[in-house]
Amino acid sequence: MKEKLTEEEVLHVAKLARIKLSKEEIEKYQIELKELLNDVEKINEVENFDDDILIACWEENTELRKDKPGQMLEPKEVLENAPRHSGNYISVPVVISGGEGA
Amino acid sequence: MKYLNKSIKEINELLKQQRIKPIDLVNEAFENIENNNDLNAYITLNKEEAIKKAKELENQEVDNILFGLPIAIKDNIVTSGLRTTCASHILENFIPIYDAFVIKKIKEKNMIIIGKTNMDEFAMGSSSRTSYFGPPRNPWNKEKISGGSSGGSATTISAGDVLFALGSDTGGSIRQPASYTGIVGMKPTYGRVSRFGLVAFASSLDQIGPMTKKVEDNAILLNAIVGKDEKDLTSARVEEEDFTRLIGKEINGVKIAVPNYFMSDIVNNEIKESIKATIKILEKNGAIVDYIDIKYIENAVTLYQIIAMGEASSNLARYDGIRYGTSEENPKDIEDLYLSTRAKGFGEEVKRRIMVGSYLLSGENAKIYYNKALSIRDDMRKEFKKIFKKYDFIIGPTTTTTAYNLSDPMDDPRKSFMDDVLVIPVNMAGLPGLSMPVGFDSESMPIGMQIIANSFEEAKIYQLASLIEKELKLNLNPNGGEE
Repeated sequence: MKEKLTEEEVLHVAKLARIKLSKEEIEKYQIELKELLNDVEKINEVENFDDDILIACWEENTELRKDKPGQMLEPKEVLENAPRHSGNYISVPVVISGGEGA
Repeated sequence: MKYLNKSIKEINELLKQQRIKPIDLVNEAFENIENNNDLNAYITLNKEEAIKKAKELENQEVDNILFGLPIAIKDNIVTSGLRTTCASHILENFIPIYDAFVIKKIKEKNMIIIGKTNMDEFAMGSSSRTSYFGPPRNPWNKEKISGGSSGGSATTISAGDVLFALGSDTGGSIRQPASYTGIVGMKPTYGRVSRFGLVAFASSLDQIGPMTKKVEDNAILLNAIVGKDEKDLTSARVEEEDFTRLIGKEINGVKIAVPNYFMSDIVNNEIKESIKATIKILEKNGAIVDYIDIKYIENAVTLYQIIAMGEASSNLARYDGIRYGTSEENPKDIEDLYLSTRAKGFGEEVKRRIMVGSYLLSGENAKIYYNKALSIRDDMRKEFKKIFKKYDFIIGPTTTTTAYNLSDPMDDPRKSFMDDVLVIPVNMAGLPGLSMPVGFDSESMPIGMQIIANSFEEAKIYQLASLIEKELKLNLNPNGGEE
């Protein structure tokens, strides 16, 4: 029998990831996520040489640009890709309702 | 009459002498793509615009070597007015409103965008089978994968549809498909090419690079797409250089390291034999080759899993069904909009990686996993830098096997990571790496070799690669016959 996560554990990570799962998916991910998590556990077997971290492999020759306004996007063009909009605004469904919040 | 099988210098001459026009090249490219339709290399073709552009160019002076040449673009690089899907349902109808930095650059050279190539969904995968639009097929054997995630770009180059393509490489996604399809693919140094307009997967690893059949063409395309971009903080300010400048120069006395891990039991014997034969050629030309151990190289996949999945979970949080992309039709509230949009919009592999990534970055886990991975990545980079004090190159096979069957099972979530075990270390250390064909296995599938150098030493890689190309003289036409 393969190792697996509990249903609650899968639902917890699905909530973190904001993904709704079907019953079949929950069962599948109980096994698959466990396999991947077992893999990443291996990191704890590796001895690091020092505590320096490398966030990204950039060299010293990088710099921030000057903080000044440049070319802006046209609202009309931007809104063409928006699923719902009204006037110059993107519209969204109810954010705060009586029920359980995010 | 065919032109796209000639060298780009010949094509350039023909254009200059007005014996052919850009439209001839565009027509030929679309004819090729039509004939190879079953390879499924493209998600979107740019036919109307490409023809329009070719006509416009008829009145312009042929001012550079890339003028009028068709190019294919991986579908995770945004192109203004041309659909960009990342091979995902969630971006199925997304039309970008600006051009990526690299697209601006190739347009400045008057190259002609022919279409957007197939790939793994959001570049997550190693066989392009996670594409929402079905996988591309390998021109050398249509029952086999083209690799991934830049599988469509590799396919169209290998099939000879066009001479140039762009791909992206986060954990081998240019080099591995290049190896499987018998072409040349370069992942440049992290920071060499701006990522502005490359749809983010793992931002500290992603890099755009050229995919071509010939080494020199690859260097010429890299010349066109580099440069400091103030819209990408990680884009490096380095002096302009010509990446072809060392091609043809002798390699007598260069020092090459071969990691023992790269020639261990994890690699097929046929591949090892092919690499050994290539090493002999290099030694014959005066290279000094040592087999060495590289610390941390065996941990690269684990680092990649943590860093890439973590960063992906954060980057893909933007697909919320609000500003662009596919969206749930009748959500109850905003939470339902997020949950349902993402449930329907993302494929299995992407969901799996976002969930694991979210877990790895949540609360205390960020310290236990992500920070630890960043610390070991730093150690690994220092180890590579140490090796490059003694050696000019690190070489070895690009992949542990040749391309496998499209019908092979996809039920192992670890498989897509293990396929990239030899290419991932390069991304971890931000180094440049190139894959090129060096032979064929007993099933006539291409074998690829990887050449790695120190940061910003792409020109040296092209020097070594061009020598190997010249010595081997492989026939890289999958249909046999003349190239």
